[in-house]
Amino acid sequence: MSLRSFLQASLACAIASVASAVAQDVAFFEAKVLPVLQARCYECHSHEKKMKGGLTLDSRSGWEEGGENGPAIMVGRPEESLIIKMVRWTDKDHQMPPKDKLPAAEIALLEEWVKRGAPDPRVLVTRPTSTDWWSLKPLPRKGALQAPQAIENRLSLNPIDAFIRARLTERKIAPSAEADRRTLIRRVMFDLHGLPPTHAEVEAFVREGDYEALVERLLASPRYGERWARHWLDTIHFAETHGCGHDLPRDHAWRYRDYVIESLNNDKPWPRFVREQLAADRLFPEEPRLIAALGFLGAGVFDHSAYQTAPTNFDYLDRDDLVTQTMAAFTSTTANCARCHAHKFDPITQEDYYALQSVFAGIIEGDIPFDEGTKVAQQRKHWQALLTAAEAQDKAVLLTAENDVLVADWEKHQGPTVKWTTLGYESFISTEGATLSRSGEVIISGGAKPEKDTYVITAMASLASITALRLDVIADKSLPKNGPGRQDNGNLTVSEFEAQVFDAGAASPVKLKFSRATADFNQASYAAPAAIDGNPATGWGIHPAVGQSHHAVFELAAPLTLKLGAKLTISLKQLAPQSHLVGRFKLSATDEPATRASAMPALAAAALAVPADQRNEPQRLALAAHALRLRATDEMQKLPAPALVYAAGKKADVLLAVSKGTPTTVAKPKVVHLLKRGDFDKSLDAIASGALSAVKTLPSRFTKAHAGDESERRAALADWIADDKNPLTWRSIANRVWHYHFGRGICDTPSDFGRMGGAPSHPELLDWLACELRDSGGSLKHLHRLILTSAAYRQSSEQRDDAAKLDGDNRLLWRMNRLRLDADSYRDYVLAAADKLDLTLGGPSVRQFVTGPAVQLTPTLDYTAYDWAAAPKHRRSIYRFVWRGVPDPFMETLDFPDLGLLAPSRSFSASSLQSLALYNNAFVLHFSSELGKQITTPADAIRRILLREPTENELRDFTTYAQMNGLAALCRVLINSNEFLFVN
Amino acid sequence: MISNPMSHPQLCSRRHFLHANGFGLGTVALASLLERDGLLAAPVKPESVTGEVRYDLMPKKAHFEPRAKAMISLFMMGGPSQMDLFDPKPMLTKYDGQKFPGEIKYDNLAQASAKCFGSPWKFAKHGQCGMEISELLPNLSKVVDEITLIRSMTSGVSNHAQGLYAMNAGRSVAGRPALGSWLTYGLGSETDELPAYMVLSHPGGLPTFQGEHFTNGWLPALFQGTLVRAVEPRILNLDPPPSLAGAPQERQLALLKAFNEDHLTQHRGELDLQARISSYELAAKMQTAAKEALDISKEPEHVKKLYGVDNPATKDYATRCIIARRLVERGVRYVQVLNAGQSWDQHGALITSLPKNCEATDQPSAALISDLKQRGLLDTTVVHWGGEMGRLPVLQNDAGREKWGRDHNTYGFSMWVAGGGFKKGHVHGETDEFGHKAVIDEVKHFDYHATLLKLFGLDHTKLTYKRNGRAASLTDNQGAKVVEQLLA
Repeated sequence: MSLRSFLQASLACAIASVASAVAQDVAFFEAKVLPVLQARCYECHSHEKKMKGGLTLDSRSGWEEGGENGPAIMVGRPEESLIIKMVRWTDKDHQMPPKDKLPAAEIALLEEWVKRGAPDPRVLVTRPTSTDWWSLKPLPRKGALQAPQAIENRLSLNPIDAFIRARLTERKIAPSAEADRRTLIRRVMFDLHGLPPTHAEVEAFVREGDYEALVERLLASPRYGERWARHWLDTIHFAETHGCGHDLPRDHAWRYRDYVIESLNNDKPWPRFVREQLAADRLFPEEPRLIAALGFLGAGVFDHSAYQTAPTNFDYLDRDDLVTQTMAAFTSTTANCARCHAHKFDPITQEDYYALQSVFAGIIEGDIPFDEGTKVAQQRKHWQALLTAAEAQDKAVLLTAENDVLVADWEKHQGPTVKWTTLGYESFISTEGATLSRSGEVIISGGAKPEKDTYVITAMASLASITALRLDVIADKSLPKNGPGRQDNGNLTVSEFEAQVFDAGAASPVKLKFSRATADFNQASYAAPAAIDGNPATGWGIHPAVGQSHHAVFELAAPLTLKLGAKLTISLKQLAPQSHLVGRFKLSATDEPATRASAMPALAAAALAVPADQRNEPQRLALAAHALRLRATDEMQKLPAPALVYAAGKKADVLLAVSKGTPTTVAKPKVVHLLKRGDFDKSLDAIASGALSAVKTLPSRFTKAHAGDESERRAALADWIADDKNPLTWRSIANRVWHYHFGRGICDTPSDFGRMGGAPSHPELLDWLACELRDSGGSLKHLHRLILTSAAYRQSSEQRDDAAKLDGDNRLLWRMNRLRLDADSYRDYVLAAADKLDLTLGGPSVRQFVTGPAVQLTPTLDYTAYDWAAAPKHRRSIYRFVWRGVPDPFMETLDFPDLGLLAPSRSFSASSLQSLALYNNAFVLHFSSELGKQITTPADAIRRILLREPTENELRDFTTYAQMNGLAALCRVLINSNEFLFVN
Repeated sequence: MISNPMSHPQLCSRRHFLHANGFGLGTVALASLLERDGLLAAPVKPESVTGEVRYDLMPKKAHFEPRAKAMISLFMMGGPSQMDLFDPKPMLTKYDGQKFPGEIKYDNLAQASAKCFGSPWKFAKHGQCGMEISELLPNLSKVVDEITLIRSMTSGVSNHAQGLYAMNAGRSVAGRPALGSWLTYGLGSETDELPAYMVLSHPGGLPTFQGEHFTNGWLPALFQGTLVRAVEPRILNLDPPPSLAGAPQERQLALLKAFNEDHLTQHRGELDLQARISSYELAAKMQTAAKEALDISKEPEHVKKLYGVDNPATKDYATRCIIARRLVERGVRYVQVLNAGQSWDQHGALITSLPKNCEATDQPSAALISDLKQRGLLDTTVVHWGGEMGRLPVLQNDAGREKWGRDHNTYGFSMWVAGGGFKKGHVHGETDEFGHKAVIDEVKHFDYHATLLKLFGLDHTKLTYKRNGRAASLTDNQGAKVVEQLLA
């Protein structure tokens, strides 16, 4: 039943008659016109074949929007319609199809069609499942793609120009002449370094500069990596806070930024760069410093609130952000559009999308420690392995000849048992209402039995110094299963053991730091170190060894000298559910060397009493495990502290408001389900990891990797992306490089090569560049050299009427695009001109704001309160601390992007708000005044700021002006000027 | 009755000009103002290609006598649900919970069910015109005699981005100039102290697609919307340091202008260079004018109360509606008031979230109409209330009442317009009996734009911008027609 039956009969008739006229028109189109378009036009103007001149005729919107020359059809007006003009061959420059004129009957058909209002029911023919699309086509093999013959042979030195000239010649547009040398050096400096040359450098280059040598010099400078790192950080929305509602800072994110700078400076081959960022831990385990590359996985937002309150949503959405970022940045695809349904425009299925999610299902974001030195890393790895073996009582590892020596050594140095002195308790309370009472040295918990509890004990120590504290938990028949815990099974959990010291009269306590925790017995997964790891979710337990007393020893990182009257406060946090509470306990301390104080498992202690040559294997094992655990922890404490990077991995210290660094491990990758309609409540099949099935040259499911360690999945994706045969990867990065050099990509949607993205203006050139990059082993600097030395890049940016009439958007590059400085370059230019630029490379970011109290966990930032005079010099913009959700308004007004989102390209506005900022912002005012102090004449100001000699008129006007208003005022004008802000 | 001296925009801006001493406008500027007052408005400039054309925001003569001078668009990103707000459907209520007896065009295919979802809210007739409005909009109900409700809007492509492009920029493709840019390009500005096109953002952030709401697309950057912050200071950097205020700043700006002009002669035809020169001139005047215009503290209490400044639920939107009115009073051509995200996109939880959206916006929106009317400004000011699409009559997310929602619908949805020559107390068009598709007097998005331009005295086929050798327009070759029935 159709809707029509609900309508009034008369209305239905009216609609029916209109409908029938429409139906007739459509029938006419389909019977007569469509075959002509298909036969005569589709070859060069359809999505499935070519899209010459950007025009497609395989859908209504294709001719409506039109190509480079505008809409192909003016509805109802054949005389004004480009397509009609073209097929009539009236103008010899505009003849289509180019070789054979259409028969008169077909021309007449097209005219009639346009006259009848161009009825055309075809909606955008996306056929999203088709992989016949420019960006997915395999790249030609090495050497197979040649540049077109240059029209002018003398210019054919650089193949790029052959491609550019071929298109210009087609449209009868002449290229522009080479820019003057002053323009060139300024252009290439801002392009490669984001910094101006000095006036002296400009003058030297104008006199006798060698352009190629200049390019080489700039590419070899570390300033290059600083400039180009910013592009990549924009592309992947790297910022140094969580974003979202709870926008917490990430103090260690900068390591990744430094990694990107260094990689670019070293011209790291692109495939290697890809692999390191996705799976350095897996692929390059011998180079631990590359862990910093995994900062890529932690670049984006972290929804702190969802993480704590809606974990499943968090998992899917967090992975969504990472899938979006990875696929956009490396392959210029919008895989994320397939979250709720198959991609509407591109051949990406929901299975593909969830396969990508599955790649990242075993990682969590947070701070990850790593060693910058390989040797230290090896040592740490060695001792960590031994510690793991000790905890697992792994005899294959522990009972080796090599380790026997260490055990014997330990035994030899084993002194007498340390003496423990019970603390002099002053008070002991339960925070949750249990009753604590004392019986001699023992404190007994009774009465109410809360779910969780914390005992707080204040005590005096009779010792002058303390090296370790000891907790005895004491079995007693009054407790369930004889204790020592109050849980029905006799067990207990000490989630955290904390101690503080109050000096007499001190206003606040000092928290004591423990270096090691040991126990005579450790429950599986509940070993003593968990009681000092800062994580309330883990702790020390003693199951199944109930009914016996046990003890744990907490060694202080440094001996504590107790002043007279000092008091200790000890907190026993027992936060596991179901009343895993301590039933009876005793606290004591020692002043003997902490290393000898460690708790020894009963079996090891017994073994020690047996002469070495008479010990059986269990005894030897117990002793070895104990001795080697101590040795390993000692050795690891001697190593330099590891560096941290905010990244993602199987283990990371998640950055939460409650604890900056909550150790978290994803024990097993989460199972990713295909979500019906993207709805978390509607999960269908589990999906194994993989990538895009539309890339036919590569296998798209990582079956083998999926079965292994989670890092194998990331490595498989990295390999898939970095493969020579992945056409998306090479086109993507080649286009990005072009985009940053020219201000616009060959495809002008650098992160979307799909059907909703832009059509490439020079597809053959893009393929040639992609192949060139691939075949050079992925050297970006090779690509830079090619582009920077092309005539297309070196030409003047001046406007030309003749060319503008034909190609006002300069899509064909008949001139160089003139570009406004981006926010970072503007800021650095001002600092450089004022000689206030600190060129230190790398390190923690500089916070150029004053932090105020938090609202909803996110602190308030006052950028205007920052004192520019506080430091003698200032770091480059790349070292600015970028707070994702609270951007610097000055940088924002100059179009620094919102890094809550991927920012593959920047916009360039010219609003009055920007003018106000450039005029009145404290940054500009301060450095105008600094400049005013340094220069002595208006001529000096022009040289320093605009990098050229003043004209006579300028000298006259500026001198008058400066006499009246001062040089600082003149400088303020100059750094607001268009000449300053634009790169020609 | 004109009791408020502020009610006449020209008078107002001159008064401000004459008293503006914070920035100390000099004699040159005075001369230019006098020249401006006597200026015969120039026709819209035809060509853009190269150096001959210089764009500015001087008032332009329209193609024919305009009725509207300014516009305030209350844009509701997400797609407000028409059958719950504007378009009562008894048949839908009757079929509530039953299978939809026809074919539904879904966007989010799998999630929408075929089950009819009758509106949970009641409709009643209001005003002398007897317009039926939902109980969710009690304040709008009181001013229905001032508005035209269009119940038959369509925009074609059922997705937010495309819907936004269509409704806000004329066609469902990205990168085109927004309506506000076209109006300021075509007509210039009635003030030289404030941006011609201003956008008031929500404290929760920008709507989805962000800056695309107020982009100038390929029109010169001069016609870009100026974004006003949601919190104080709404515009940053308005104040120069005291030592530079007044005459010193005036001299600096004069030098900057001269220097930039000189530079421009060496790079003729560069629109971005021109735009920066203009934006400095405007910025200078904004230093006093914008501060005054954005400050509602001197608004009388009864006005604040009328909009709902005193109620936490409406405070933000009320404040921004008052600011919008103040901007229009001062000669701003086009003001858009934005929501955050796509807060009207109720795929789920419609029953709880739709009333919240209405609560925040209903009273201020209605107050804007009464206030403009009371000031005699409604006749020359178009007020628009609407989003980029509407919603389907069937249930989405059939997982318990609290989760119920509706999917996208661009085949028939509602929005209202008032003032500036639109009919009063008028309902235009109908959807079918379920509210799915427009069946009577369909208004396509480009028809609406053609009609709107007509009220501003502009012929939509003649308001063009030459681009790559062809004349591009807001309605661009889509066969747009002026909907005469909407006009008073």
